[in-house]
Order: sequence, then structure tokens, then C-alpha cells
Amino acid sequence: MISAKTGLTKYDNKLVMAHMYVAFISLFIGGLMGLLQTLVRSGTLTLPFGIGYYQILTIHGVLLALVLTTFFIIGFQFALMNKTVGMTDKQRESAWFGYWIMLFGTTTTAITILLGKANVLYTFYAPLKAFPTFYIGLALVVIGSWIACFTNFRQLYVWKKKHKGEKSPLLAFMVVINMLLWFIATLGVAATVLLQFIPWSLGMVDTINVLLSRTLFWYFGHPLVYFWLLPAYMAWYAIIPKIIGGKIFSDSLARLAFILFLMFSIPVGFHHQLTEPGIDPMWKFIQVVLTFMVIIPSLLTAFSMFATFEVTGRKKGYTGLFGWLKGLPWKDVRFFAPMIGMLFFIPAGTGGIINASNQMNQVIHNTIWVTGHFHLTVGSTVILTFFGISYWLIPALTGRKLTAKINTLGIIQTIVWTVGMTIMSGSMHIAGLLGAPRRSSYSTYGGTEQASEWISYQIAQAVGGSILFIGIILMVYIFINMVWFAPKGVEEFPLAEVSEHAEPTPMFLENWKLWIGITIALILFAYTIPVIDIIQHAPPGSPPFDTLIQ
Amino acid sequence: MSNSPLQKQNKEIASETEPELKGTLIAVFAIGAFIVISWFIVFALFVAR
Repeated sequence: MISAKTGLTKYDNKLVMAHMYVAFISLFIGGLMGLLQTLVRSGTLTLPFGIGYYQILTIHGVLLALVLTTFFIIGFQFALMNKTVGMTDKQRESAWFGYWIMLFGTTTTAITILLGKANVLYTFYAPLKAFPTFYIGLALVVIGSWIACFTNFRQLYVWKKKHKGEKSPLLAFMVVINMLLWFIATLGVAATVLLQFIPWSLGMVDTINVLLSRTLFWYFGHPLVYFWLLPAYMAWYAIIPKIIGGKIFSDSLARLAFILFLMFSIPVGFHHQLTEPGIDPMWKFIQVVLTFMVIIPSLLTAFSMFATFEVTGRKKGYTGLFGWLKGLPWKDVRFFAPMIGMLFFIPAGTGGIINASNQMNQVIHNTIWVTGHFHLTVGSTVILTFFGISYWLIPALTGRKLTAKINTLGIIQTIVWTVGMTIMSGSMHIAGLLGAPRRSSYSTYGGTEQASEWISYQIAQAVGGSILFIGIILMVYIFINMVWFAPKGVEEFPLAEVSEHAEPTPMFLENWKLWIGITIALILFAYTIPVIDIIQHAPPGSPPFDTLIQ
Repeated sequence: MSNSPLQKQNKEIASETEPELKGTLIAVFAIGAFIVISWFIVFALFVAR
């Protein structure tokens, strides 16, 4: 039966919730590992039972950056697609098939890491070698996600066939853009895992081309960041306006921003490899320029969100230059959590521009500044928006209500997160500027003076990390409440309408062949010559090192 | 060709209902300024080192 209020069937609810369970379990375990890391780095804790620092670092990265995000995003996107364009039984079967493959892959990888056979961190840089099941599990996660991609593509295709000449629903358009981005990006990581890592870890080949593997990883690694961000943008553009009592500022602007993200978030991986020898500086320069193109849709989004807030506030009668800020529902956690996430994106995006600038990259490369940066992007902007989505999505799916008590607890959770992350990420940024390395366990570095400057910041990171873990416990409690204990009822699935002031959306924005064609052309332009160069002029490959870090 | 009275009236209504976005303009300029200032602070650090 389809719920009148949410527009979803109980089968849809079950499918989406299956993804959410994995996401929140990952949040708890991955978060606990993060807490342990900050305590070890502060010099106050030695891990018991022979557990290694790099083991928990790998679990933290894989569970939070890869598993939590991928499962939450795919589940959320299925909810959006099923709500806006519907899902047939056959499509639901394929969605479940993809889910089980991803879950099997996740379990395989997680067991390998827990057994201490994959201390390679979530970037799994060669020549660090993991046991083959680590890579096979990851490959299965990617394959499962591709099934989700093609299910989403099929959903929109079937809808378009029934609604000839109509523009597709905004959220369905956004989901398909994000899945196109994901599919094109994961081709790189699939290539390196299937063609390089698996044969090498199985001993079928003796050596690996390290630079090629890192290049293929970052071909995937940067758009991965946008795969995390775009679902947050979906909520900002098309759901938040409804929650605040307003409308979408411009449908065309939202679609344009997503198209620009598709085109410019992939051919930019070299800005993660600016200190890498073996890549021609000219191609690094070209990819840095392309990286800066991504600023445009980000600023379009900032403008659009402020405009939505201002128009809504003024409609409610608030005047003055910034009087409209008072018209926003600050006491509604469905707005408050994502709004704080948006504010975090201002320093996060700024840090990203600094990272991608060649000279500044020399200042911060491989320092803990970078860790501080992505705890602002994915660890604050994205995750606070995902929490904000959960406050209405989970009760809508479980047939329960977001109570006033949970709403208040959610606001407290957001404040706890903000305080913890400001302390932790802020001290990471400062320590990074002082040269403190990332990806490293506690060390006094032989008592050098420079390392002694870092320790107070490492203690601050442990304080921030501990506060953040309280935030995780609160969030898991809220999730459990919304799934099993909140009173039965109907929670709204908020979908905003487009403003009457917005111009009609031109149909060329849905010219898929054009946008995919430009995306592929840009990728070929940015990568063909340097990749040929990397293969042709490769130094001798590297044998595996599987006990290098413990 | 001059506009008919009805067209003029429509234009007036359109300009009346055009949303006021002064706060938005200042907010996005403030973000732009924050980005530029932060960039130059780290650039100064690079030059100093």
C-alpha cells in the first residue's frame, strides 16, 4: 500500500531502511575507532590486545568514508527516486541484489581489516599490500553500487517514456547526475583494483606500477568527494526550502550547478598528486585550472541558498538587511543541522581551494591540515546534512513521529558536533601548518623541537574527538528511538516547489548526450596524454610490502 | 514603438514582485572575501618559508 503522506510503499521503506541500518552501524564503529586514534595520538593511550594504530585507522577510514557514505547515499537516493518517479517490482529486485552484493563486499573487507591483514588505510596506496579479500570486497561494493546506478537510470528512463516532453522531477534529475558521476569515477578505481591490485596481491604478477595505481585512485578519489556532497546539495536545494516554508529559488540554477559538478569534478585528480614525481607539471596545471571551475557551482549553490532564505524570511514579514535570518526555523532540527553543515562548508571549501593551489599545497601536503579539511567537508558539511535528512526520513519510513524531545536532543547533538569538530578540526589545521604529519601514530620523533610544538594540538584533537564521540552516541540513540520507540504517526516527506519568480527550465538542461559527451571529452583531454606517459616511462614496478606498518 | 498601458502595468507589477536580495548579495560577497583573505594568509606563509 502506498502511504498518502510519504508516497512510498512498505517495500520502498524496507529497502531504504536496509541501507540506513548499515550506515548507522558503520557510524558507531567507525566513530569509536576515530576516538581511539585521537587518544593514541595524544600519547595517553596504548592500544590493548596487540591492536595496531594503522588497523583502527583503516577501519575508521573505510567504514566512515566509504561504507557509511555509500550506503546512506544509495538508500536516500532510492527514497528520492521512488518518491518522485516510482519503482517497479523488477527494479526493486535489482536494487536488493545490488544491496546484498555491497553488503557482502563490505563484510569481506571489514573482516580482512579486523584480522589485521589490511593495514593499508582507506586510500590503499601501493606498494602497501593487503590480503586479496580486502580488494575483492571493495570491488564487490563498487559492483553493487553500479547495480544501484543502473536501477536509478532505468527508473528515470521508464518515467520519461510515460511523460514524453516533460522535464524530469528535479530530485530525480539530481540523483541521476550523481550516479552518472559515481559510475564514471568508479571506472578508475575498478580498473586499478581489478587489473593491478588483485593480480599483484594474489602473486600472479611480481610488481605494480605505483604511479599508475595512485593516478587511477585519484581519478576516482576526487569525484568521490562530490558523490558525498551532491546528496547534501539535493537536500539543500529541494528539501530545505519546504522545511523553512519557502520555495526553490530556481530549478534551472539547481540543474546547471549539478551539470557543472558532473563535468568538472572528475578531470581534476592531479591536484591530489601535486607533489608526485613522474607527472608533467603542465598537466598538473591544467587539472588545477579545471579544479577551480568547481568553485562556480559551489558559489551558485551558496547564492541560491541565501536567496531562498532571504526570500522566505521577507515573505514572513521580516525586514532589514539581515532581518530575514530571524524568519528561519532555528528550533527545527531538520533545518538546524543542515544549516550548520552549510556554514561549515565555508571554511571547508576555502581550505579546498588552498589545497588545490600548487604553492600552498607544498605548505600543507601530507600534513594533518588535510585531515582537518576533510573532517570539515565530509565529517561536518555532509554528515550534518545526512543527520538533518535522517530526522524526517527515518520516522517517515518507520511510520513514526519526530517528537519534540528528539527534536531538542537533535539540536543538542548538532551543537555537540559543532563544538567537537571546531576543536578537533581547528587544531588539525593549525598543527598541519606547523608541519605535523597525517596518517601517523604517536611519536616524539626522537625528541625534536618541532614535534614538541604539535603535542598540545594533538591533545586538543583528543578533546575534540571525545566530544564528537558523545555526538555519535547521541545520534545512534536518536536513530534507535526513531526506528523502534518513537510514537506511531505520519512524518512528512518534505519536497519543495519551485518559486513563481523562477524562469521556466530550458529543455537543453536535460540534454544528457551533450553533458555526458562534454564530461567524457574533458576526461580524455585531461588524462589521455599523462596516463600514456605514466605507462610508457614507468620506472621498475614495486614488489609488495605487507608488514610495513603495523 | 511605445508600450501599451497594459504592458507598462505588467512591467510595474513584475518589478514590484521581484524579490529583494540585498542580504544575499552581501552574504556571498562576504564568503568571497573570506576565501580570498584565507588564501592570501596561507600564500604569505608559503612565501615566508
